[in-house]
Amino acid sequence: MVKKPVKITREAPAKREAESRPRKVEAPAAAANAAARPAVIVVGADKGGVGKTTIARAILDFLSLNDIHTRAFDTETPRGTLHRFHPDETMIVDLTEPSDQMKIIDTLNTSQAKVSVIDVRAGGLSPALGALDEIGFFDAVKGGEFRFVLLHVIGPSIASLEEIAEIAPYVADANYFMVKNHVNDTTFFEWDPQTHAKYFEHVVTSGEITIPKLSELAYEQVELSGTPFSTFIGNQDAQGRPAEHSFVLRGYVRTWLARVADEFERVGLLDLVGDKRR
Amino acid sequence: MAPRTLAFFVCSPHSRTGVTTAARLLTDYYLSRNVDVEGFDTDFREPLYAVFFPEATRIVDIGEIKGQISLFDRLLVADETPKIVDVWHRSYERLFATIAEIGFLEEARRRGVEPIVLFQTDVTESAANSALVLKTTWPDLMMSVIHNRGASPLGRDSLAILARYPASGKFVIPRLEAPIARALDDVDLSLSRFSREPPPEMSIVVRAALKAWLSPIFTQFQSFELRLALQSSEWLR
Repeated sequence: MVKKPVKITREAPAKREAESRPRKVEAPAAAANAAARPAVIVVGADKGGVGKTTIARAILDFLSLNDIHTRAFDTETPRGTLHRFHPDETMIVDLTEPSDQMKIIDTLNTSQAKVSVIDVRAGGLSPALGALDEIGFFDAVKGGEFRFVLLHVIGPSIASLEEIAEIAPYVADANYFMVKNHVNDTTFFEWDPQTHAKYFEHVVTSGEITIPKLSELAYEQVELSGTPFSTFIGNQDAQGRPAEHSFVLRGYVRTWLARVADEFERVGLLDLVGDKRR
Repeated sequence: MAPRTLAFFVCSPHSRTGVTTAARLLTDYYLSRNVDVEGFDTDFREPLYAVFFPEATRIVDIGEIKGQISLFDRLLVADETPKIVDVWHRSYERLFATIAEIGFLEEARRRGVEPIVLFQTDVTESAANSALVLKTTWPDLMMSVIHNRGASPLGRDSLAILARYPASGKFVIPRLEAPIARALDDVDLSLSRFSREPPPEMSIVVRAALKAWLSPIFTQFQSFELRLALQSSEWLR
């Protein structure tokens, strides 16, 4: 396991306006009670190229830096982009295969890692949620056995709004967050309120997460290094040896990761999946 | 205590205040003492500072990430070679925004590099406010002002204007008469060589005037350097 070289210093999170039909996240007391229950975070989108794996990587860094033991599942078979960056804690799985479903769901209670992050491959979100529904995972969530957080990474097109309608049946008991990913400088247009309302008729969201832009060169260098963001910041290579990364690029990545952590903290991700007393 | 590597940022948010002259003088001061210097010219369009020291300077565009890497990664090398950055007024905002974003000052101190801002004064309130912003943002940042009486005279209110700057030290660059100042425009005129041995072909009048102008400036730099050395001496605390 690679070392965690830096602790992210967070600035006070900026206040943001709540989006339409916000739902309050679990109260701290409820979150404390929930701490013993395993949590599953699904990161996905039906559209490709919106940065799902980047978000999953940022979550793994965020949880690791907050001392929350986490494991990850990469459904991008057989390549596994997430696995490339976090090989020690990531397993490549096919969510439609019962044997792999068992590896995830049947071990939720027994695994030392109380948080499981599932990075769903492009186009696989609806089928993945369907598969989880079929095996009764959502019933178990409803029954309080597990906690479920869905991070839906949306693109700037109307196709992303259509995805929302498709996943609506599965998110009733989830903490459902929409993620706008600007890491690659995507510009999101302002949706027409009526159109927006129509798509959100049957969906209640817990909030919206905005991932800020990161300099292309810095992003590219982390890609080339094949390490977690925090390892790159700590100037280490994938084997934990000293690296020769530019301080400027590490500085940009550090600031970016701190801002992303602010966002996760603002929406209460730690309360939802971890023990607040940590 | 190990000697610290000095990284000077000669800057002003405004044009024509004498930033390049100050960077040039500081560079020549070190060269006159046979101390190698690394210079950085952030005016990539008209790199006048780099023209004077083509062997010792590099031109960087800090609007680009690659330029930032060329500058800041090099400044962080604690090799005891003084580094001098001529901050183009159009690069001023970007430079300090980048310094803040990447945490340069904190990392510099950790590595034994001492960043020093040499802020060029002018009569405007906005210049003093800009200096104040830097000092408020980084209270530990070492800052001195440079009052160039030729390029940016402060007039009769000079004392009041200088009092607005939150600096711990002051350098004064005296005014030069126009005919003498023109001699400075010659890119082949090395002030470090001049201080050791004025070129015999130069007019005696110009030679005398330049020498009288240069000596007190170099003395101020020497005094500043000595003060820094005394501050960092563990035996004198």
